[in-house]
Amino acid sequence: MLVGLAWRNIWRQPHRTALSLSSIAIAGTITVFLLALQQGAYGTMKESVLKLMDGFAQLQPPGYADDPDIRKSISDSGPLIADLVSLPEVTAATPRAASYAILSNGPQSYGAAIVGIDPAREVKVSNLASTITRGRYLQPGDEDAVVIGAGLARNLKLNPGDSVTMLGSAQDGSIAADILKVTGIFSTGSPALDRQVVEMPLVHFQQDFAMNGSINLIAVSGEHLSTINAAIPSLEKIARRNDLVARDWTQLEPALHDVILLDGSFSALLYVSLVIIVVFIILNTLLMSVLERTREFGMLMAIGMKPRQIGRMVWLELLFLAGSGSAIAIAAGSAITAWAATQGIPFPGAEALFSQWNMPSTLYPQLTLLSATAGPLAILVAVAIAGFIPYARVRRLEPVTAMRSA
Amino acid sequence: MTAIVECKGITKHYRQGSIDVPALRGVDLAIEKGDFASLAGPSGSGKTTLLNIVGGLDRPTEGTISIDGQDLTALDNEELADLRLRKIGFVFQAYNLIPVLSAVENVEFTQQLMNVPAKERRERAKEMLHQVGLDGMENRRPSRLSGGQQQRVAVARALASRPSIVLADEPTANLDTKTAEDLITLMSDLNERYGVTFLMATHDDRVISRTRRHIVIADGRVASDELRPAEMAV
Repeated sequence: MLVGLAWRNIWRQPHRTALSLSSIAIAGTITVFLLALQQGAYGTMKESVLKLMDGFAQLQPPGYADDPDIRKSISDSGPLIADLVSLPEVTAATPRAASYAILSNGPQSYGAAIVGIDPAREVKVSNLASTITRGRYLQPGDEDAVVIGAGLARNLKLNPGDSVTMLGSAQDGSIAADILKVTGIFSTGSPALDRQVVEMPLVHFQQDFAMNGSINLIAVSGEHLSTINAAIPSLEKIARRNDLVARDWTQLEPALHDVILLDGSFSALLYVSLVIIVVFIILNTLLMSVLERTREFGMLMAIGMKPRQIGRMVWLELLFLAGSGSAIAIAAGSAITAWAATQGIPFPGAEALFSQWNMPSTLYPQLTLLSATAGPLAILVAVAIAGFIPYARVRRLEPVTAMRSA
Repeated sequence: MTAIVECKGITKHYRQGSIDVPALRGVDLAIEKGDFASLAGPSGSGKTTLLNIVGGLDRPTEGTISIDGQDLTALDNEELADLRLRKIGFVFQAYNLIPVLSAVENVEFTQQLMNVPAKERRERAKEMLHQVGLDGMENRRPSRLSGGQQQRVAVARALASRPSIVLADEPTANLDTKTAEDLITLMSDLNERYGVTFLMATHDDRVISRTRRHIVIADGRVASDELRPAEMAV
């Protein structure tokens, strides 16, 4: 009875109801789209950064992340890598060894992070190869070859085909010295990476740095970051068996994680403000409607309807409004977002900013259950809670006073 | 005769700012089963206040009021609402139908509140509309009914829950002469044929002349309570 009456009541003033519905639907649609865009941007940002070098997760010796000492190593990585790639979520795993060294070319000398990689496996985890702007990436069979970041190449005045002298400290404390040939120069868009990183074949690295076949970490990749995130417990189990630790993306890129959290917090403030504005609009409309109908409520009480029943009816009216508006928002927001997800949203002029994260300047909203429903449902819940105000007001009405109101 | 309503020493005071305004000053009144009574008096005499107190819409400052032996002053708001639902039918001056419900739904409404099964309440509502002469208008909403028709729906609604008494506050005030006459005739017929008890607060001589019991309120007191034989009620 109350349900039918409440539904009809909201259509007494069709224009007013249409306006209220529009407010909820537009605000809800905006939240669906913005949240999807945000999720899409975060997803792209994370995958772009992680695919560049880190991989979606890593297995490292304990303490390696805080103190990346070449002596913290994994001696027999073959069975370990076989274990990792046997996991259904893992598509590739690649061994790496890393150290710091001085690179010199004539009078120029610069410090660099030297990373030994397995070229055949590395390309399945990292897309650094795709950022080569001059020369070529490392290939299986390469020995004294290196690829070098564009910033470092500029500082050392190196070009593909040039030789560079490397001087570092080997795992056993001896001097690691070699003359390496630059096969390619990469430009990731990240100035820090391009100024510091040099890759060379793992086998040659192990020889130069007296690693005795050991490595420092294993980088892991999967179809999507989310699949590897889901596999973290399995990775941790394998890591524990081998006295290692598994590190997920938040530990590999804590700065990026913090940036996303911070941005998410600011966005949440925006969404909350939007929800509050909508709730006030709807509440104001309903309170106006309650005021206009006070005399009628008096009549309803006179003929035997209890104040709490009238209060519930008014609350239901609010829920119908918010529910219908939210349903429209979910449908419209999802449709617009799905369309935008196929077209992409270009951000002209943001190329330089986005390239810091190795991101494209066109973003694709990510329509998920969360992005499609979080905003509209937040509006629905907030309106439902705010509905206590008209409910309480109606419950306080006295029949005679109400019937005397104009 | 059995008293349906019994008022003993009813007083009602209102506060207007710092002034205490007495509206009723010790009313003793009993309405008997089958009464067809008018409650008349000048504006401000207290007749609507008395009607509201009899109907459980307002509480007396002093005194007791009972309906079917049930003391209204001992009931809380929820219990009073329940009593109004089951024992009292209301007809107001300004029709006061629920605008979003059709005529038949308006009549059904109080029965719905009483959880009467759907089929039974629909049949009873149609029967009530038939009794007030609104056959064929069951599905019209109030906005598509004339003032007289709306008031008939209000009477049908008041009767649908089979109340002990129907209270009407100026039921003819907004109606033209013909429609008012028709409404009075309708209520009189219902009283005579079915024994429905009516108490009507009114200024309208057409109503007063048709009632068999004529109560006059003046200055918050019962000034006269006159019972007329049926043949004198015109």
